[in-house]
Amino acid sequence: MTTTLLPATRTVAAEARAVVKTYGKAETEVRALDGADVRIDRGRFTAIMGPSGSGKSTLMHVLAGLDTVDSGQVRIGDTELTSLTEDQRTLLRRERIGFVFQSFNLVPSLTAGENIALPLTLARRRPDPAWTDRVLETVGIAGRLGHRPSELSGGQQQRVAVARALVARPEIVFADEPTGNLDSRTGDAVLGLLRHATGELGQTVVMVTHDPAAAAHADRVVFLVDGRVVDELDDPTSAAVHAATARLGAGKE
Amino acid sequence: MWHLTLAQARAHRARLALTLVAVVLGVTFVTGSLALTDTSQRLFEDQFRTATAGVDLTIRDSAAFDSAMGVEVERDPLPAGIVDTVRGVDGVADAAASAVGQGLLEVDGRPAVPAGPSVLSSWSPAPFGAFDVREGTEPTEDGDVVLDVATARTYGVSVGDRVTVRADRTGTLRVVGLAGFGTQDGLADSTVALVTLPTAQRLLGLGDEVTQVQVVAAEGVAPTDLQEAVGRRIGTAFDVATAQDTVSAGADAARSRLAMIRVMLLSMAGAALLVGGFLIANTFSIVVSQRSRELALLRAVGATARQLRTSVLGEALVLGAVGSAIGTVLGVAAGYGLRGVAASFGVALPDGGLVVAPRTLLVSLGVGVVVTVLSAVGPARRAARVAPVEALRESRTAAPSRRRVAAGAVAASVAVAAVGAALGGAGVALVAVGAVAVLVALVLLGPALAPSLARVVGRPLGAAGVTGRLARESAARAPRRTAATTTALAVGLALVAFMTILGQSVKASSAGTYQDVVSADLVVESARAEMLGGLSHDVHHAVEDVPEVAVVSRVRYGHWKDAGATSALTAVEPETLGEVASVDMVAGSIDALADGGVVVAADEAAERGVEVGDMLTMTFARTGDQDLEVVGLVDERDAQALATGYLVSMETYAEHFTEDVDASLLVALADGVSVADGERAVADALTGFPTAAVRDLAAVAQARAAAVDEILGLVTVLLLLAVAIALLGITNTLALSIVERTREIGLLRSVGTTRRQVAWMVRWEAVLVAVLAVVVGVALGAGLGAAGVRALSGSDPVAVSWPVGRLALLVLVATAAGLLAGALPARRASRIGVLAAVARR
Ligand SMILES: Nc1ncnc2c1ncn2[C@@H]1O[C@H](COP(=O)(O)OP(=O)(O)OP(=O)(O)O)[C@@H](O)[C@H]1O
Ligand SMILES: [Mg+2]
Repeated sequence: MTTTLLPATRTVAAEARAVVKTYGKAETEVRALDGADVRIDRGRFTAIMGPSGSGKSTLMHVLAGLDTVDSGQVRIGDTELTSLTEDQRTLLRRERIGFVFQSFNLVPSLTAGENIALPLTLARRRPDPAWTDRVLETVGIAGRLGHRPSELSGGQQQRVAVARALVARPEIVFADEPTGNLDSRTGDAVLGLLRHATGELGQTVVMVTHDPAAAAHADRVVFLVDGRVVDELDDPTSAAVHAATARLGAGKE
Repeated sequence: MWHLTLAQARAHRARLALTLVAVVLGVTFVTGSLALTDTSQRLFEDQFRTATAGVDLTIRDSAAFDSAMGVEVERDPLPAGIVDTVRGVDGVADAAASAVGQGLLEVDGRPAVPAGPSVLSSWSPAPFGAFDVREGTEPTEDGDVVLDVATARTYGVSVGDRVTVRADRTGTLRVVGLAGFGTQDGLADSTVALVTLPTAQRLLGLGDEVTQVQVVAAEGVAPTDLQEAVGRRIGTAFDVATAQDTVSAGADAARSRLAMIRVMLLSMAGAALLVGGFLIANTFSIVVSQRSRELALLRAVGATARQLRTSVLGEALVLGAVGSAIGTVLGVAAGYGLRGVAASFGVALPDGGLVVAPRTLLVSLGVGVVVTVLSAVGPARRAARVAPVEALRESRTAAPSRRRVAAGAVAASVAVAAVGAALGGAGVALVAVGAVAVLVALVLLGPALAPSLARVVGRPLGAAGVTGRLARESAARAPRRTAATTTALAVGLALVAFMTILGQSVKASSAGTYQDVVSADLVVESARAEMLGGLSHDVHHAVEDVPEVAVVSRVRYGHWKDAGATSALTAVEPETLGEVASVDMVAGSIDALADGGVVVAADEAAERGVEVGDMLTMTFARTGDQDLEVVGLVDERDAQALATGYLVSMETYAEHFTEDVDASLLVALADGVSVADGERAVADALTGFPTAAVRDLAAVAQARAAAVDEILGLVTVLLLLAVAIALLGITNTLALSIVERTREIGLLRSVGTTRRQVAWMVRWEAVLVAVLAVVVGVALGAGLGAAGVRALSGSDPVAVSWPVGRLALLVLVATAAGLLAGALPARRASRIGVLAAVARR
């Protein structure tokens, strides 16, 4: 279906197949993911959109190995996640995945610099100075590395979070509404950063968002409704995303 | 508002659970201590009441006071003929004489040594005697004996067996019966041997005299009236006491005997409650700060600051009441446990059903509730200060106020000055002032000092990688939490360190002094723990007759009243003392004692302003007020080796005391006899005296040290309870902080921290707090300990001995305990799901 529409030349960074994820049981059961299929291409910026409660965050958590699935398969590169133990998934996250959350991204007791270095420190890896400099330069936070999160603005905090996600050169960076708490100008700066990471730095980025304008920064948009992927757009514009959203929203009613 | 309070208490059940445990433990301790000492008191009182149940008056030789330091004074015997005189008084229905004294029981050649007295008494039928024959018959002939049922059971004696009783003379007696004492099977902690009056007189060496006459009043005659009438007839040389007088005198003696253990137990309970108070305050602080958004919301919708404060205090009230109730119930059970602990450290308390006085319940409940509510006052005020806008703001930790820091600095300076002065020789009171000031300073300055201290002490944690650093930062960034947890543990550890240093120094100095002063080759002492010692003069004669022995010099102790206050003196033999001890005199000479008078320790003399040639008024039980000439002043350290600050001669002692037992015999061996040979020879000569033990000087010094060790051990064990409560505090605080840090930990997990790493992060923090507390606690304990030793040792400073081994052990144990305390929160933290970081709240 949707996956067959993709050009065959692209390599796959992550993939979910027929993933089912339910919460609660019996009468109160919620199917957050109901047979979701999605493929994330390497080196591209993918946005995930959909109405509230459609399963966007759940899909992202599952793809990133933060959560388990009830059935179906999830792969990061060549690694099948569903057969990994919790500790193996922890190591996988540490080494191959970066995160940016909507808020509360930083450990309050560490400085911005320490927060950025955290994935490397945890893995006892030496930072690559050239890369680190480039990341810091890109996010433009160099002057505030010694500050603690409580001394930074919301936008600065998000930029530190992006830097942390990038510094270990993960295979994929996942971001769940990274601009949800920011005004549009600051939000644009963070989005530009993610865009830049895919373009110049060659990163793969997956971002969940509600905002069509934000989605327009992506290379591709995947639409989720009721736990399934129902549509997608390549090289979207803001208007196209608006139109698709409206269509899906209307169809749902 | 009250339903909100209850709802809060319910909702925070889990958070308050460990706090509840702290209240419960503290109150348990208080209840247990009170119940235990009340029980002992009641048992002693019951005993006196039963003993005088059917008797209206007891006539004994008169004495200026009944008891001193819990020991009843011995009185001179009475002429037997007095019974007939008394019978002739109008209103007397009947009178009977009896002879009562000490007589050690021996079963199968082995002495039966109870924790209390070995009673030897003449048998008096009811109503005079309180014993009733349960099995066999009463003693009717010379050579018959009746034992109490409890003793017979303990030592496996039955009717028909033979036992030996050692008093002034020794007799082998046939057991003809077993007797009970009222509803009891015997007297608490005692053995009782009941014989005929002639047998008792013979064994006690009374001739035809008796020790007391008991009187029953005729129908309708008031005991007080009869007391007067009898007194008039027999004169003032005799003491006529009503049953009520006897009971209250006995109760007084029991009370003073129990006073020390009661004070000790209650101070330890106080320490436990103090530490518990910190824990409670800390828990409430954390709960309040975790709830600040909720509190702000309440304020926003219209709750007043006062209502919030009341709500928090109400929660404390509920907690305190529940905890105290549980603690009180447990405390009754703990009374038995405490008795066991005390017994295993050589402090014997009588056995029996526990007495729980209404006062115990009131005090325990009251103390528990008051401590809990007081501890919650600070957090309650903080809760009331939460501003409504904080509902919309991330909470931040406020820096400690300048006023607080200033007040803390003042307290700290007071502490330093007081301890410094004490080290320079000022009084004990200053050490107490210093201790209180230290505590205040710790509470006030803790939050200000915690971050930097945690970073300094936690520096080595950097080696543990990022988990160690996170642990250190977490401790440093929650100064209030870290300070409160640390202070609680530090107080407990400081007390342990203080007692250890004090005990060790006292031990070392008393052993040192004893060996400096006493030069005897051997020392014979009673193997029993008797306040005045317990060697009959037969022991003295037996040792004197040993050919290897050159000199035997006797030492005795006695109580006297010093303007109403109980004091003690030592009787020596001035002629021979010089050969077994080198006593340094400051003025006068010890030989002058031979002509009467008293030698006083230099410091005591200075305190009362007496000099050689002055007269000193001393009150003796037997002879009342007496003026003794001060004939010499002795160096106070040397006086200490002889146990008291007042020395008299044996002759003076005999004049004023009925007691006739030696505390110790200082033995010098003949030239050329080795100590080992001499000891063997003396031991052989003492085979007939099972309670007399011969030891060389080093062994005696060691035995004295062991006595200090026993009390020290008891105190330490009891203090460890306070330390345990403080460790609970670490567990509780960390567990609470993990609730607070759920998102942070979730975040750490999501970026690749393993469960193990998270668990270690928490454990490291627990260890850091424990080590911090050890550093602070041991430093304070050492400082106060040194100051205490100096202050207690007066003008002649005792060297402070540092029990390095024990202190090192304390450090190790505390660190390990910190690790243990971190176990539960570490588990909890490691279970926090990865998604917690992104969970919407
Ligand atoms: N921990 C959970 N327990 C129970 N139900 C859950 C849980 N997490 C998500 N759900 C449910 O699963 C469904 C999908 O949730 P998810 O968070 O993935 O939606 P979303 O698309 O990210 O929504 P939003 O745009 O509001 O963030 C929703 O119906 C939600 O209520
Ligand atoms: Mg979401």
